[in-house]
Amino acid sequence: MEYETLKSELLALVDDGLKYAKTVDQQAEFELFLFYQNRAFANIAQGMVDATDGVIEGNATRVAKDQQVSFASSSGISIDRIKRSINEATASLRSVSVKDERFKGFCEPKNPSREGTFTDEILNIGKDELINYANVLIREGKETDKRIHMVGASCEAEWGGFAVGNTRGTQEASRSAINSCDVYCIAVKEDERRTAYKYDISRERLIIPEGLGEKAAKKAVSLLGAKKLNKTMSMPTIWTPEAASAYLYASLGQSARGEYVVEGRSPLADKLEKKVAPSMFTVIDDGQNPSSFNTEAIDAEGHPQKRVALIENGKLQNFLFDTYYAHIYGTKSSGSCSRPGRPFGSALPYETSPLIRPKNLEVKPGSKNLDEIIASMKGQAVLIVDMPIGIFHSDVATGEFSAVASSAFLIEKGERKWPLQPISVAGSFYKGFENLIDVGNDLEKTPMTVDTPSLAFDGFSIVG
Amino acid sequence: MLDNLQNCVQLGEKLGAKFVEARYEDLILRTLQRTNDVWRDITLKSRAGVGVACYYGGASGYSFTSTITKKNMEAVVSRAFKMAKGSAKSATLKLDFDRRPAMDSRKSDTLSVKDHPRDKDLTYKTDLVNRAVDSARKSGASISNITGMYGELHGQKLFTNSEGSVIDWNFEIVDLRCTVTSKTVAGHLVNGAEGVGGTKGLDHYKTPGTTPEDIGKKAGSNAKEQLKAEACPAGKFRALVENRLAGVLAHESFGHLSEGEYVAIGVSPLSGKLGTRLGTKNATIIDHGMPDVPNVGGLWLPYDDQGTKASKTTILSKGVLKHYLHSRGTANYLKQRPTGNCRAIHFGFIPIPRMTNTYFDAGNLTKEEALELLDTGVYAIQTSGGQVEADGSFVFKAIRGYWIEKGEVKKPLREVSLSGNILNLLSNVEGATRDFQLYSGYFGGCGKGGQAPLPVGLGGPELVVSNVTFGGQAN
Repeated sequence: MEYETLKSELLALVDDGLKYAKTVDQQAEFELFLFYQNRAFANIAQGMVDATDGVIEGNATRVAKDQQVSFASSSGISIDRIKRSINEATASLRSVSVKDERFKGFCEPKNPSREGTFTDEILNIGKDELINYANVLIREGKETDKRIHMVGASCEAEWGGFAVGNTRGTQEASRSAINSCDVYCIAVKEDERRTAYKYDISRERLIIPEGLGEKAAKKAVSLLGAKKLNKTMSMPTIWTPEAASAYLYASLGQSARGEYVVEGRSPLADKLEKKVAPSMFTVIDDGQNPSSFNTEAIDAEGHPQKRVALIENGKLQNFLFDTYYAHIYGTKSSGSCSRPGRPFGSALPYETSPLIRPKNLEVKPGSKNLDEIIASMKGQAVLIVDMPIGIFHSDVATGEFSAVASSAFLIEKGERKWPLQPISVAGSFYKGFENLIDVGNDLEKTPMTVDTPSLAFDGFSIVG
Repeated sequence: MLDNLQNCVQLGEKLGAKFVEARYEDLILRTLQRTNDVWRDITLKSRAGVGVACYYGGASGYSFTSTITKKNMEAVVSRAFKMAKGSAKSATLKLDFDRRPAMDSRKSDTLSVKDHPRDKDLTYKTDLVNRAVDSARKSGASISNITGMYGELHGQKLFTNSEGSVIDWNFEIVDLRCTVTSKTVAGHLVNGAEGVGGTKGLDHYKTPGTTPEDIGKKAGSNAKEQLKAEACPAGKFRALVENRLAGVLAHESFGHLSEGEYVAIGVSPLSGKLGTRLGTKNATIIDHGMPDVPNVGGLWLPYDDQGTKASKTTILSKGVLKHYLHSRGTANYLKQRPTGNCRAIHFGFIPIPRMTNTYFDAGNLTKEEALELLDTGVYAIQTSGGQVEADGSFVFKAIRGYWIEKGEVKKPLREVSLSGNILNLLSNVEGATRDFQLYSGYFGGCGKGGQAPLPVGLGGPELVVSNVTFGGQAN
């Protein structure tokens, strides 16, 4: 398939599929989802190279009848494979009685929103370009400092689209193209090893590998000479955008999801229109930011993607919904239905039945830069400069997290002192929001699909 | 299909590839999910595709398709070869491997189960979930949510290569889980969970201790107990690590570091340390593709996705590093035997070194002796996973626990993370119990290189470990 004609080809298949579905069961309601993605990937690590190039294509059917809903998917988008999904979903429905009385129907037809920015240069990226990018990243990383002992780099280009249609009349499609790269450097000094990452990702231009290897190398070297904190205490923490993006996705990115709100698993469920953070804190989920990675014309059930204010001036304003949970909650879909892509999606998104995910979380920047936030710390604090490991092993219901920050610095009387050996950081995500001290102005777009500046919190338990 | 795969191999060789592997999978994935009284998921996924790896000049290229036509398969071979040839110029670390005699699988390589999930109808499976949820409701208190889940994955895996090997076997795994969320008087939400899975027939859910009723009861009563649990204090304590958590420790904290490519490129702190003592004599870590699944549980993986027969690999023997986990290329590079650990999550990915069933070996302590040895500290139980970094820093999550004083249980504790550096922790393993269990399942699994969740098995005995960092609540 070609990018130019992708939408029309997918929509034609959806149309054929829906016509067949009506012959299978005229009384049932059907929804078809078709996915097509061209993906090329190259990875070089210490001279070890692997590269992959292929097309991911598949389809999924949801069928509903008498308040029963079932889902089936199959790899491939030929009409035979589409028929297979339709037949299997229908067979499941007929073989068992499992009512979902809350189901009120699939997405009603609506005008689509806009696709994100696109450059056709991404379509032309081949294996040679990806390997060249990776070589630039590695060369820079190695040449920056003698203490860099290991460098690895990955580069990826993907383009594709999806189409959704249902027997209520929805038939829409959306396309996107993204290229990305990342580099890691490991700095070694005697027995100490410190790792740092840098990345570039864009849908509106080709990636720029130049400079990233050097930045990653310098960051890794800056972490050498780490000292033990030798304390167990509660103290302020400052999270740079790489770290803050993980915090936001693991917390608000989960608890704002309508299914957790409706099913009684979100600690925010009863806090709508209440203050959950200081007034400086505003978070939007923007499914229409042209340069953001999950921006599409429609969500995964055909609803137009939107810009949704989650927290405005510290007050919880909205949750994220698809059609199903919006009906139960008594509201309208926020265009947040997803068959997960970034950041934690399946490589075969059509295999996932629709669920709710944030599209692109955006934190409104504050006024201080990172140095000014550091300078405002009176006593001791910790600066966390990369995603703490384990932060995603938290449960949405409890909101409690406990992670290890391997890339952190001690702050003392407003000054950055020395790097710290790995420290444990623990607490409640939501108490963290209540105890937010500051929001920086250093807004950054991260691979976590979160645009955030640095955030400073008080009250987390630190063990080091 | 075998003819088609063999044609792929021949075409790749004709193009100039030094070695070609072609594989096909045709799998069924079934998931069911009931949340409270509502069925949220009745899903069936048919996953079929072909993947071809070409090797050239010490580099590999991979391509795949799910539209299985002659034309597409030829295009896949051509793309894979071009990727390999294009990569070879940049490959300074060559992962060539020597040829070996062709291997042919046997029918008995597929573990036979009594009630195979493909032979049971959907109603039978929804009934398993209903029974677990109903049991949880009876056993819990102040419940705000009950979720019951069933998953199965099974089907054919077919492989051939330039040596003429033909590997044809059937993968199978099932899983039944229940999670209960309860609300404390103060309005906080707490969880209880239980699940049973692995390469089992559905008859396994008739066995006392693993019936749907048992699973639901444990989930409900665990959540009920959590209503009065306290936060774990933050700091360093002695720990008794329960079997499942010991498995996560073996897998996340140590197993990943032993994966061949990390060792080959020097990223792993285990690089160059063969024969070195890294832990106490109580620490033995094994990876095994074909454990005694009927008796101890786990996942049955007779071959990896590179056609290598599974084996039992003692990675760490009584504290001494003995072996790594390999693909054919990393084994050759590091001059060890291939271990049958080269796996891919599905046809869309090239196989890479991954774990199979990874576990600590059993010791000789009884439970009472382990508690006595622990003396005072945290008994950490069940897990929601963990993570490790290249320097050996790890964190893993216990979803419940108890505070122990002088060998006696004093109070239940809420979820807590254990962290540290694996090389330090292995030096602090003071003992292991006799009881031994492996755990596996459809839900969850291992993530690496964008390939998640890959089904794995893990487990072991209970371990007594000193000086563990708990990220609880600091005063």
